[in-house]
Amino acid sequence: MRLEPRRPSRPLSLLITLISLLLALAAGSLLFVSVGVNPIEAYSKASDVFLTTRGLEEICVRATPLILASVGLTLAFRASFWNIGSEGQIYMGAFGAGLAALYLGGSLPLVLLLGFAFGALWGLIPAFMRVKLKVNETLTTLMMNFIATLWISYLVYGPWRDPKGYGFPLTPEFPPSAILPNLPGTSVNLGFVLAIAMSIVAYFIMERTELGFELKVIGGSEKAAIYAGIDVSKALMLMMVISAGLSGLAGVSIVSGVMHRLRPVISPGYGYTAIIIAWVSRLNPLLTALVGFLFGGLLVFGDALQIAFNLPVSSVQVFQALILIFAISGSFFEKYRIRW
Amino acid sequence: MLELLIGLLGAGTPYLLATLGEVYAERSGVMNLGLEGIISLGAFTGFAVFYQTGSIPLAMLLSGVVGLLLSLVHAVVSISFRANQIVSGIALSMLGLGLSGFFGRSYVGLKAPPTPFHGLDPIMIFALVLSFVLWVVMFRTRVGLMVRATGENPSAADAQGIDVYKVRYACVAFGGFLGGMAGAYLSTIYTPMWIEGLSAGRGWICIALVILASWNPLRAIIASYIFGGIEILQFRLQVLNLGVRPEFYLMLPYLSAMAVLLVFSRETMRKKWAFPAALAQPYSREEA
Repeated sequence: MRLEPRRPSRPLSLLITLISLLLALAAGSLLFVSVGVNPIEAYSKASDVFLTTRGLEEICVRATPLILASVGLTLAFRASFWNIGSEGQIYMGAFGAGLAALYLGGSLPLVLLLGFAFGALWGLIPAFMRVKLKVNETLTTLMMNFIATLWISYLVYGPWRDPKGYGFPLTPEFPPSAILPNLPGTSVNLGFVLAIAMSIVAYFIMERTELGFELKVIGGSEKAAIYAGIDVSKALMLMMVISAGLSGLAGVSIVSGVMHRLRPVISPGYGYTAIIIAWVSRLNPLLTALVGFLFGGLLVFGDALQIAFNLPVSSVQVFQALILIFAISGSFFEKYRIRW
Repeated sequence: MLELLIGLLGAGTPYLLATLGEVYAERSGVMNLGLEGIISLGAFTGFAVFYQTGSIPLAMLLSGVVGLLLSLVHAVVSISFRANQIVSGIALSMLGLGLSGFFGRSYVGLKAPPTPFHGLDPIMIFALVLSFVLWVVMFRTRVGLMVRATGENPSAADAQGIDVYKVRYACVAFGGFLGGMAGAYLSTIYTPMWIEGLSAGRGWICIALVILASWNPLRAIIASYIFGGIEILQFRLQVLNLGVRPEFYLMLPYLSAMAVLLVFSRETMRKKWAFPAALAQPYSREEA
C-alpha cells in the first residue's frame, strides 16, 4: 500500500465531506445501539426537527450564537492564530450585555456595543501576549475560558444576583429596551439576521480587504508575511478584535435574545462547537452560516432525543466530536489517494 | 506537616501521571490536547470498574487501556491523516468528555466501595518512581534518543532508519495510557466518586505543566506538585472564610497556568529549554 498525492478539486471535496458526515452518523448509531435505542427510530426524530416550522425556528435560535462565534473563528484560523477562547469571549460578551442592560440604561445599541467590546477585550489579552511576548495563544485562550465562566458565576451568585429572585442564581430580567426583538411572526430573534449579516461581512473582509489578504499571508507563513512588509502584530490584533468581538456578540444573542438575564451557564460549550463548525466549513465564513445551521439542528435534535429516548445531552457532544474527527480525516483523502 | 505532604502528593499525582505521558507525546512531536477527554473517560472507567469489582489495580489498568484506545484516535487522525493536531486534540477532548457523560450518567452519585488506602498510597509512589524511570529512558537510552530525534527533526530521524510514525504512535498511546490512569486515580482514590466534569480542566492544565517542566520527566514532578499545592491552597482558603467569593479561589489554577505560560512559553525560554522543534508538525514521508 502506498500513498499518492492528488490534486484537490471541489466536487471531490464535496463528495468526501458527505461521506465523512455519513460515516460520523454511522459511528453515532453505535452509541444508540449501546443503550438499546434503534438508530433508525432515533434518526427519524430528525424529521420533527428539520421539517416542522417550530423545529426550524428553534434551529435558527440555537444556530445564532454558533454562527456568530464560528464566523469570528474562521478569521483567526485562516491566520493560523489558534483562538480556542471563543467560549470565554462569549461569556465576556454576555457580561458586557449585562452591564449595559442592568446598569447603564439598557439601550439595545449599547448592549450590542459593550457585548462586542468585552468579547474583543478578552481576545485582545492573549493576542497581545502572542504578538508582544511571543506567548503561544492556544493555551492562554483556553485558560481564559475558565476564568471568564467563573467571573460570570461570581456575578450571578454574588453582586448581580436578583434580590427578588428567591435566592436563585439569576440577575434581574433585562429591561424591554435591552432585548433583541423577534422577527415579525416568528420566535426567531434579530440575532439570527445579525449572524447571517456578519458571515457576509467576514467573507467580504477575507476576500476584498487588505486585512483579509494579510491574514491569509500570515496564515501561510508568518516569516513570509514579515518579508512582505506586513505589520503582523497590527493585523493579528485587529483580527482578534473582530474575531473575539463576534464571539462577544454571540454571548449578547444568548442573554439578550433568549435568556433575557444572566445565569451561571450561558453557553453549554458553544465556543467549542464553533471551532468544529469553523473547521468543517473549511474556514469559509459564508459556509459557516450553513454548517452552523446544521449544528444548531444537531442541538435541537439532541433535545428531541433526550425527550423521546431519555438519552443524555452528552450524546450531542459525542456527535459533534465524531463529525469533526471524520471531517478532518476526510481532508487527507482529498490530497492523497491510496494505491494497493 | 506529614498530613500536608501526603495531601500534596495526592493532589499532585493525577497531574504528574498525565504530564509524564504528555511529555513523551510532545517529545515525539505530537501535542495531544485530547488529554482532558482522556482523563475524563479514564475517571469514569476507573470508577465503574472499581464500583463493580472493588479492585483498584484493575480500575487503573482498564482506565489506562481505555485512555490508550482513545488516544489512538488522535494518533490516527493527526499522525496518519496529518490533520492539524490542535483541532484533532480538541475533537478528542470533546469525544472523551461526551462519552464519559453519556455512559457515566447511571453512575453519578453512586457510593464508591471503601478505599483500601489511607495516607500514602502505592500509586503516589508509582508515579514518583515512574518519573525517574522515564527520565532515564528519555536521556540515557536509545529509545529515548529515538523519541527525541523524532520530535526534533523527523526527516533526519527517518534517514537514520527510525520509523517516525511508529515512534509517534507509541508515544501518543503511552501518553493516553497514563492519562487514563490519572483519571482513575481521581475517581477511585482522590475524590472517590463519579460526576460529569470530574476532570475539571486538569487535562488542559497538564499541557501547560509540560511547558513548566520543560519536557523533562523529573521537572514534571516539581511542576505537578506545585499545581497540586495550588489545588490544596484553594480548598484551605475556602474553608478559612476570608469573605472572598469561592469563584476567585477556583480561578487560581487557571491564573497560575496563565502566569506559567507568560513566563515559560515565551520564545526566548522555548529556545533556551529543549523544546521539541517539530512539535505539532505532521510528518509526511512523501513530502520530506
